[in-house]
Amino acid sequence: MSAPALFDVIGPVMIGPSSSHTAGVARICFLARKAFGERPGKARVTFHGSLAATWRGHGSDKAALAGLLGFHPEDERLSFARELAAREGLVVEFVEDRSVVAGVHPNTLRVELEGGGRKLSITGCSIGGGAVRVENVNGFPASISGELDAVLVRHRDRPGVIAGVTGVLAEAGVNIATAASRRNQKGDEALLVVEVDGVPPGAALAAIRALPEVLAAVHLPSVVS
Amino acid sequence: MRTSFTSEAELLELVAEAGRDLPGWMIAREAFLTGRDEAAVRDEIARRLSITRTALARGFKEPQRSVSGLTEGAAAKLHAQVNPPVRDELWNRALAYAVAINEVSACGGRIVAFPTAGSSGIVPGLLWAWRDEREGELSASSPRLQDAVAVAGAIGAVIAARATLSGAAGGCQAECGAAAAMGSGALAWLASGDAGRAFNAAALSLKNSLGLACDPVAGLVEVPCVKRNAFLAGNALVALTLDSAGIRSAVPFDEVVSAMKAIGDMMSPQLKESAEGGLAMTPTGLRVKAAMEAGFPDAPDS
Repeated sequence: MSAPALFDVIGPVMIGPSSSHTAGVARICFLARKAFGERPGKARVTFHGSLAATWRGHGSDKAALAGLLGFHPEDERLSFARELAAREGLVVEFVEDRSVVAGVHPNTLRVELEGGGRKLSITGCSIGGGAVRVENVNGFPASISGELDAVLVRHRDRPGVIAGVTGVLAEAGVNIATAASRRNQKGDEALLVVEVDGVPPGAALAAIRALPEVLAAVHLPSVVS
Repeated sequence: MRTSFTSEAELLELVAEAGRDLPGWMIAREAFLTGRDEAAVRDEIARRLSITRTALARGFKEPQRSVSGLTEGAAAKLHAQVNPPVRDELWNRALAYAVAINEVSACGGRIVAFPTAGSSGIVPGLLWAWRDEREGELSASSPRLQDAVAVAGAIGAVIAARATLSGAAGGCQAECGAAAAMGSGALAWLASGDAGRAFNAAALSLKNSLGLACDPVAGLVEVPCVKRNAFLAGNALVALTLDSAGIRSAVPFDEVVSAMKAIGDMMSPQLKESAEGGLAMTPTGLRVKAAMEAGFPDAPDS
């Protein structure tokens, strides 16, 4: 592995006590909220492994609430997230899953959001030092670090959709760092994750949404300040 | 710009090719990687330094108490000590500062993971102690202090590339051990302005924390973490002292980090942040764990 960026080593700016159990959880839930696009009506967060064992002492629930309220992971309101969530009527069910699954990272959480007739399920791991990896979005395997801005495009598995999306980004002068598309099965629904350098302009997002066979597109902002 | 390196040797070669000094090159690299200019990178370093200073002041001013009660006002006690047995100002400040910042972290305050939350007091504690005792004119906006942070970051980046900065993957040698290496290197840079000296101090420091277990009581980042921030700040000052006397590490930095990786891989998962071994499994550790699982009924605000 090549050396990480300076602010990955000297960072993140975060609310204690744990980079993996507090900051990482806040980041994954922040990404889930942004991917969902609005405050969910119902939410459930399942802590696995080490998180299931120690979430109380690490304030992982406050971190999750802060993320689901849309607070950036370094926002000091994380300390009061329980009160703020209650005031906003955001109710989150916290579940501990202590089962040990081979090949699953010890600090994994699943976030399930519902509202406005929509559902979103995100599974992410907190891999150390606040770094995260979203590994699954609505059943589609993914690998999203949150370090770069990303565009998530839900689309039908048809020829030319990916070219259409990358074409819009090229037109807008947005550089693509990574791109990966996964489908359930041939011809069915697919999820395209494009990580980009910088913030993609709103007009580009609107143009992507207007492409044929595109079902939805959201901007996932970077969790790094 | 070529930005990829996995060793001190590669890094210093890139730095030499570019005709910059080590921190200047690290800042240019960050500017390149994040699409900012160098001034913006320096501003961000300054912002992060200021956050650590705020945490430090808070740790002294407001005695901290964690939800578990395991962390309680150690920084305030160190700060209040009028006649410490070891009579060196830099030493005493570094220990107290490291604990103050890490107590704020343990109690849910705002800090910078440096490189992690559990080790967040060591590097800024050392830097601010140096500033307060040695070079009072330094501030978050001084290029010199920002350079020291960039040197610490360079050392941490090589450790991340060759080994890990995660206790779950490599034990505490990868967190507090890495932080002490970064801090000793940053101070060696301030003392000498020499990148080789910085990595030598880091090698000396890291060798002395190889194999350090990550066995936190109840899995909380409190015991032994908070006090260990003081111990490892001391470790960094010993390394600084040896380096400044011209003592070379017999094993070069890159090889020490490779050894750290090998040791981390050999360590039982029970000693890598799983709270299943060591201090976590003592009678006291198990009592705290039971209290946590009952939701800390005695805590004032759980």
